[in-house]
Amino acid sequence: MSETPFLVLSAILFTIGAVGVLTRRNAIVVFMCVELMLNAGNLALITFARTTGTLDGQIAAFFVMVVAAAEVVVGLAIIMTIFRTRRSASVDDASLLKY
Amino acid sequence: MELYTPILALMVLALGFAVFSVVVSSLTGPARYNRAKLDSYECGIEPTPQAHGGGRIPVKYYTVAMTFIIFDVEIMFLVPWAIYFDELALFGFLAMLLFLVNITIAYVYEFKRGGLDWD
Amino acid sequence: MTGFQAPNVEWLTLSPLLVVFLAAVVGVLVEAFVPRAQRYAVQVGLSLAAMVGTLVASLVVFARLSPTADEAELGRVVAAGAVAADGPAVFTWVLLSVLGLLSVMLFAERKVESGVLTFAGQAAALPGTEAEREASTRGLSHTEVFPLMLFAIGGMMLFPASNDLLTMFVALEVLSLPLYLLCGLARRRRLLSQEAAMKYFLLGAFSSGFFVYGLALVYGYAGSMGFAQIAAAVSADTGSRALLLGGIGLMSVGLLFKVGAAPFHAWTPDVYQGAPTAVTAFMAAATKVAAFGAMLRLFYVAFGGNRDDWLPMVWAVAILTMVVGSVLAISQTDVKRMLAYSSIAHAGFLLTGFLGIRSLDEVAPGGLTGVSAVLFYLTTYGFTTMAAFAVVSIVRDAGGETTHLARWQGLGKESPLVAGVFAFLLLAMAGIPLTSGFTGKWAVFAAATAAGAWPVVVVAVLMSAVAAYFYVRVIVLMFFAEPVGDGPSVAVPSALTTVVIAVGTLVTLVLGIVPGALIELLGNVGVFIR
Repeated sequence: MSETPFLVLSAILFTIGAVGVLTRRNAIVVFMCVELMLNAGNLALITFARTTGTLDGQIAAFFVMVVAAAEVVVGLAIIMTIFRTRRSASVDDASLLKY
Repeated sequence: MELYTPILALMVLALGFAVFSVVVSSLTGPARYNRAKLDSYECGIEPTPQAHGGGRIPVKYYTVAMTFIIFDVEIMFLVPWAIYFDELALFGFLAMLLFLVNITIAYVYEFKRGGLDWD
Repeated sequence: MTGFQAPNVEWLTLSPLLVVFLAAVVGVLVEAFVPRAQRYAVQVGLSLAAMVGTLVASLVVFARLSPTADEAELGRVVAAGAVAADGPAVFTWVLLSVLGLLSVMLFAERKVESGVLTFAGQAAALPGTEAEREASTRGLSHTEVFPLMLFAIGGMMLFPASNDLLTMFVALEVLSLPLYLLCGLARRRRLLSQEAAMKYFLLGAFSSGFFVYGLALVYGYAGSMGFAQIAAAVSADTGSRALLLGGIGLMSVGLLFKVGAAPFHAWTPDVYQGAPTAVTAFMAAATKVAAFGAMLRLFYVAFGGNRDDWLPMVWAVAILTMVVGSVLAISQTDVKRMLAYSSIAHAGFLLTGFLGIRSLDEVAPGGLTGVSAVLFYLTTYGFTTMAAFAVVSIVRDAGGETTHLARWQGLGKESPLVAGVFAFLLLAMAGIPLTSGFTGKWAVFAAATAAGAWPVVVVAVLMSAVAAYFYVRVIVLMFFAEPVGDGPSVAVPSALTTVVIAVGTLVTLVLGIVPGALIELLGNVGVFIR
């Protein structure tokens, strides 16, 4: 079975994530798009683990998942604080710092 | 295929037991309802009514979500380790022990600082 | 199937890292079990002890660096191939332990805020509410900043020493995540601080997304995560070049973001301005060291074989970074923001030194390699910038730090010593002779010129002149302008901040006058193990 479809899928997911980060306004949604990018990376890692016949990619996917989980904790904490302060999680409202 | 036979058997058993208990208890048990019994089941806490059109989930749930991640990560490494437990021998055991202790320290911190206190 | 062989762990070589991580974990336990009143003393003591311990351990490892089997490089690969303890890595360990020690002192400063840390009393209390006022009157302080900082230092030390892509990624996150949190913990101007944390976090996570995807592509190209195997695959030129080039491109996005190079610099001014000044000092000095160390290793060791492919990209990024940093700094009205743009410009100068890549046989005996030059520049820049931000943290008025430049007018009349020290540090950043800034710039320019990157060096010299303009403008403002209103005032800091400023200034001066010993040392150790 060819691996190309998996790589194409992962590239599509990565692009959706990257475009989402750049266009969405809500910090939570932006963050979910980042997670999508990380998971696209995971899919690519696992596919390459199969094409190259090595295990490194699968192990790396585990660690990427852990890091993504840790990132969720830190990110949610930061976004929560902002939200409670301003009653808004829109990244456009966070504009005190500029120029 | 025969590798999966025990799993299938277990599934049938579990399903059978679930159906059996529900059916038999509804047939044989007394049916005396009150408000608490009719409420939807929420692990023992008062179910919070949903505002119209969804509504917000209380902030305090997010510490639970963060705690969940601790165990989420833990199980991810425990499963592959458990499968190869025999081969990994003492080194694997000590490495996993170190990992679990570290994870637990984060949990202890949250517990001691009141992160799990409701209200 | 072959049986599992327990890997050999070289405890002594890894001890600098282990000391920091152990202290960080113990710090979390301290937060859990030690009563609030004693936490400050215990945490500061623990952090200082950890940094001194890791400094000693790093020096021991540094002294014990021994040649590899073929006598080509110093150092060895440890922890089953995950960590390379070679000259540049152990040198950054030493440098990071010293910078970390100074940062602990800055973090521990309590005198300027009349008895509390400069970090939020209770991060969960909303700004401007009763809860916040209560936390502030009870004198609460988040002593969690110390374990967070230790975790960040541990990640920073692992980052340039990582010998495979996976370790590098994990180290990148271990250093980043605590920094995101630290940025949001300022006691004053909390909205700015929280906003800085969110921007840093979202953009940082975005860039690590690129890093992961790039990592996956490079792995798909080489079939291995190890730098040595990637280097072998690159030399053999097997596999799809599209994968390799895509991977290099995406991974450099992640790394260039961390060093704050244009066009990935947008976060730097906002975060440097919004974060607590102690954290800014720590980030500006230590993150640059770690990220450049890692970038050097990744590009020199793993991708050294196809440098013709990526050198043009680094040329362009270096030029763009210097121009953006120097030109935009001119219009800044906030001291911290100006120093942030100056740090972008410095990232450009460091990238210039990065272009000094040559194979070993091309380097004349005693000549500077790109690695040595960049490491030297990092040393000079790290101490100067840390001292500069320490000075910023003690110029205050009733509302906290006064970072607006207009409020710095006439500081020379108010406090000639502080203004003089700051002027000296600014001159060092501008690269005036007799300061470490000059010798550092000379080192990176020499290395880049020797490798044939003279057009970049020409731009760099021009941009140094532009940069000198805005540094000198601040000096003129401090000494030759009349104070506005009641003028700025300088809080008398405790011995902690004083030591940081003194050490930073002293190193800036000493490396400016007698840089020879350090350059020679770096010439001897500045080769990556392969």
